Amino acid sequence: MHELARVTLENEMDLILAHKRSMKLAELAGLSLSAQTTFATAVSEVSRNAIDSGKGGCLILSVESEMRDKYIVAGLKNELPDKNNSREGLEHAKKLVNKYKVSTDGSIELFYNISPAFRIDIHKLDEWRSLFRNEPPISPYEELKRKNEQLQELSERVKKSEDQYKVLTNSLPLMIFSLDDQGKLLYANDWLLQYTGQNLNSLNTSKWKSVVHEEDYDSFCLLLQNNITKGATTIKIQVRLLNRNSSDYIWHQISLTPLNTEENNTRIGYMVDIHAQKTVEETLKDNYELKQAEKKLKENQHILEQYIEELNRSNLELQQFAFVASHDLQEPVRKLLFYSDYLLNKYQSSFDEKSLHFLNSIQGASRRMRSLIQDLLLFSQINKEQIQFHQVDLNAVASDACQDLEMVIEEKKATLSIQELPTLYCDERMMRQLFGNIISNSLKYSKEDQIPEVNISCKQENGQIEIIFRDNGIGFDEKYLPKMFTLFQRLHTRQAYEGTGLGLAICRKIVEMHQGKIWATSEEGIGATFFVSLPVHPVN
Amino acid sequence: MLLFSFLCRYIRLINSFCLMKCGKILVIDDDNEDMVIIREAMEMINADNVMLFAENGEKALQLLDNRFSSEHVVPCLIVLDLNMPKMNGTQTLESLKADDRFRNIPVIIYSTSINPFEKAKCVTLGAHAYITKPVSLKESLETAQVFLDFCTTA
Repeated sequence: MHELARVTLENEMDLILAHKRSMKLAELAGLSLSAQTTFATAVSEVSRNAIDSGKGGCLILSVESEMRDKYIVAGLKNELPDKNNSREGLEHAKKLVNKYKVSTDGSIELFYNISPAFRIDIHKLDEWRSLFRNEPPISPYEELKRKNEQLQELSERVKKSEDQYKVLTNSLPLMIFSLDDQGKLLYANDWLLQYTGQNLNSLNTSKWKSVVHEEDYDSFCLLLQNNITKGATTIKIQVRLLNRNSSDYIWHQISLTPLNTEENNTRIGYMVDIHAQKTVEETLKDNYELKQAEKKLKENQHILEQYIEELNRSNLELQQFAFVASHDLQEPVRKLLFYSDYLLNKYQSSFDEKSLHFLNSIQGASRRMRSLIQDLLLFSQINKEQIQFHQVDLNAVASDACQDLEMVIEEKKATLSIQELPTLYCDERMMRQLFGNIISNSLKYSKEDQIPEVNISCKQENGQIEIIFRDNGIGFDEKYLPKMFTLFQRLHTRQAYEGTGLGLAICRKIVEMHQGKIWATSEEGIGATFFVSLPVHPVN
Repeated sequence: MLLFSFLCRYIRLINSFCLMKCGKILVIDDDNEDMVIIREAMEMINADNVMLFAENGEKALQLLDNRFSSEHVVPCLIVLDLNMPKMNGTQTLESLKADDRFRNIPVIIYSTSINPFEKAKCVTLGAHAYITKPVSLKESLETAQVFLDFCTTA
């Protein structure tokens, strides 16, 4: 069966149309005019019946060509069930045609013989089909009807296609949306709405503020507003969007493409989850940065090690220099002292007063130089290589130090009171130096009108032994405290108090070698107190 | 044979008695000025002509060896400076103490150095005393007296 044309049967006008089409088909099938009229009449009979019963029928004209018999066929299909089952039209029609069929659903087929000699092939059928389709409308009604049908079909197709697209957009793991030129959402697929937990309205009124990460919001707004996309093809940006379910910001790539239609500036876009990619990217970047940092660190460490090495070397050199210099300097100074002394003693009578005065000045200067050199030598010798730890009785150390200072003590008639001191793991020689330096410091800066008193006491707490040296000397202004323990720092002129400026620096070095601390307090004119804190168990 | 070896030992014993008493002081110092100072001081305490001088350890050992071979004498005191070229004080001291012939000669270290480590080291090596070089006429005279005392009491 080859369908050639269709006519919907709705009113009287359609009846005319059905008649005309049937006539035409019969004509095309090479039937005589009377045969044409007979077939068309039969079709009209059943068609009228269909229109009258309001079954919403449809006439389908076709050709059946089997081996022996060839027919033109008029089929009548009902869209609604045949209610009153009226067959009046069929009764008339069946007399006019060669063959008829009635199906259980009420559809009718009328068969009219055509000459077996009449050749029907596919080309001819196609020709007929296009003939029916392109046949000028027989009336304004038909024209209207055709247009209407076309439109309906089109609308159905569009609807179908739109539905398909909707299904498609909803099934894609993408958020798809469209925007107008003001950046207002026109459409958003389920993914977008589900992901954000919002609807079109709320997204439009909030301008996505609650969805887009605040750091990305500015660039997102730029994208929403038309000014970027104008004239551009596709714009892509990366933003973080809040997932309603997990409350996490997930990286998305937003792509916006303008639909270049004339009447509006709609843009369609999609958002795709690029979080994994972004994470990998960031991890790689972090990794790279980490590697760079590591490399840099290694370089720095290398440089640092070089510095340390250099520093150690220069330190050692300096130490050696200090030692050698001070050692070798002693020699000429000693000679200066000796010869000036020799002259002063042996040839005193040969010099006038001025010469004697100058000779004495040479003596004084040489003596100062000698003590400076000796202190420097001492200072340079206080180092890790020289330190020797033993259990040392600090009482013995204190009395040894006093013995070293016997002459000064006697001269100044000073009184020293030393409380019981503990035994400590330390370097005896350095301790003796430390005690000696602090005590001699106290004696040196004593008041002229008062007998110098030095009190040495001790307390032990938190694994530290604190030795306290208290005197009644002239004291010092505590603002000089930070400078006092550094090399060559003197608070007084040489004329007022002799000294090299090394005594307390030596003390500090000794204490630091013992992992301890030294500090002092004072009130000017009342006295000074020096504190030495040493660990009971120094770490090796 | 046995008698001969006994004789030899006897002679050596007698020799060693003779050695001790030459009455000289050997000063080993590279510093000419210091030698002048010592000589001056010795003269001032009327102890002339007791000094022998060597400018370094090598020369001193040579001198000792010569005198021992030719005259079988050794000095009664060796005054030894530490800081010297070629063979320094401690090396010389070690060589002296390693030689049977000179082991018993008292050695006084005579140096500018006040380094206590150096002092301690010299004492361990067998030095008799450590005297810091004088800085005044008075000190030089005292030092000279100490040297002389060593010689007369030895």
